[in-house]
Amino acid sequence: MGVIVRNLQNVVPVRRARLRRDVEILRHIFGVQKFDMGIICVDNRKIQRINHTYRRRNQPTDVLSFPFYEDLRPGKVPCALQRDEYNLGDIFLGVEYVMQQCKETKQDLHQTLTVVTAHGICHLLGYRHETEEEWNEMQQKESYILSEFNRLTGSHLEPLTKR
Amino acid sequence: MLKSVTRALQLSARLSSRSSANRTAPISRSFWSLRSPGAAAASRPKILTAARALPTLSCGCGGLHTDGDKAFAEFLTEEIKEEKKIQKSKSLPKMSGGWELELNGTEAKLIRSLSGEKVTITFNVNNSIPPQLEEEPEQTQKSQEEEPDIVSTPNFVVEVTKSGAKNSLVFDCHFPEDEVGHGDGEEESDIFTIREVSFQPEGEEDWKETSYTLNTDSLDWALYDHLMDFLADRGVDNTFADELMELSTALEHQEYIKFLEDLGTFVKCK
Repeated sequence: MGVIVRNLQNVVPVRRARLRRDVEILRHIFGVQKFDMGIICVDNRKIQRINHTYRRRNQPTDVLSFPFYEDLRPGKVPCALQRDEYNLGDIFLGVEYVMQQCKETKQDLHQTLTVVTAHGICHLLGYRHETEEEWNEMQQKESYILSEFNRLTGSHLEPLTKR
Repeated sequence: MLKSVTRALQLSARLSSRSSANRTAPISRSFWSLRSPGAAAASRPKILTAARALPTLSCGCGGLHTDGDKAFAEFLTEEIKEEKKIQKSKSLPKMSGGWELELNGTEAKLIRSLSGEKVTITFNVNNSIPPQLEEEPEQTQKSQEEEPDIVSTPNFVVEVTKSGAKNSLVFDCHFPEDEVGHGDGEEESDIFTIREVSFQPEGEEDWKETSYTLNTDSLDWALYDHLMDFLADRGVDNTFADELMELSTALEHQEYIKFLEDLGTFVKCK
């Protein structure tokens, strides 16, 4: 199946082919191209509801990840045995929230969505940023992934996990 | 067949939802009286003729007028009044993006020309209301108190015609059923989906079966995303789909009221 892209909102015009292409490149850099993944674009209302339901935070946000594997050691590629285990989980992109931030910082929406998705994939692979140590570990991974992305595509993306 | 049964169920559900008390109107037409009118009926036992006499109304139209018809006409008058009360506007909502609307009964066409291309959307409001699914027991109370909105989600066909091209590129689009009627659920379907894509002779009513038809069920997702972007570039995106739902819902309601009015006129024979 690969990457499933869904667009459940009508606030932000999302270029699906562009998003897919960038996610495919990220998947390749992470070394998880054999794993399925869902990318679901939602508006503020929907991501706020999901954030409230699963994190008890009643506010919109940029990205929420739902890993298929719960207790992965950060960065370790899951050991899948069956075909249906080749699944990393789903990433909900709060595209309306990201769009608002892009307007404030005058950044490109689709480039920012790539950065946000890279952050989301890190979470699918077990990275966290609750402690300083976790934060550093995740930041390093994101920096590496995006530097590779930049090298391959000529972009100038910077990680989301910044101080 | 299935569609017509569904429609009948929806119609009966809609009629019964606001006026359930009226459903007990007596049926006064009996089979024997239809077979044996006039003098023959007089020889029947009193108990039957007294209880089931034919109505005496006559308007010279040659049609039958029964107490049932009268009750039916009264019921329809009330129903039309109720439906008009909940009708948001008598005029249809406008589509943004400069779409021109053409109506032919229950069929609607939206047409837009853009840089040498013509995009035509065709949909029919008949059979466009998905059946209301049974709610979970704990939600039943709520659903009885708050009647769910009836939303029309018709299949629609997008026809893209390029000047000079022999054939049009035609997309058969649908609103996924799990997206409809659940509002705040955690659905993860797109607002609308492309089911089939094909080249067809321009303006043809019938789908030419000899043209290759791309079915999206087993399609490469990357190709699917390009097709969705292609439609979005021509104004057929999620905003369009939401507006089309609103337009179709208003048109379906308008046609429903018109049907009830025609039914009332037919029953009353005016």
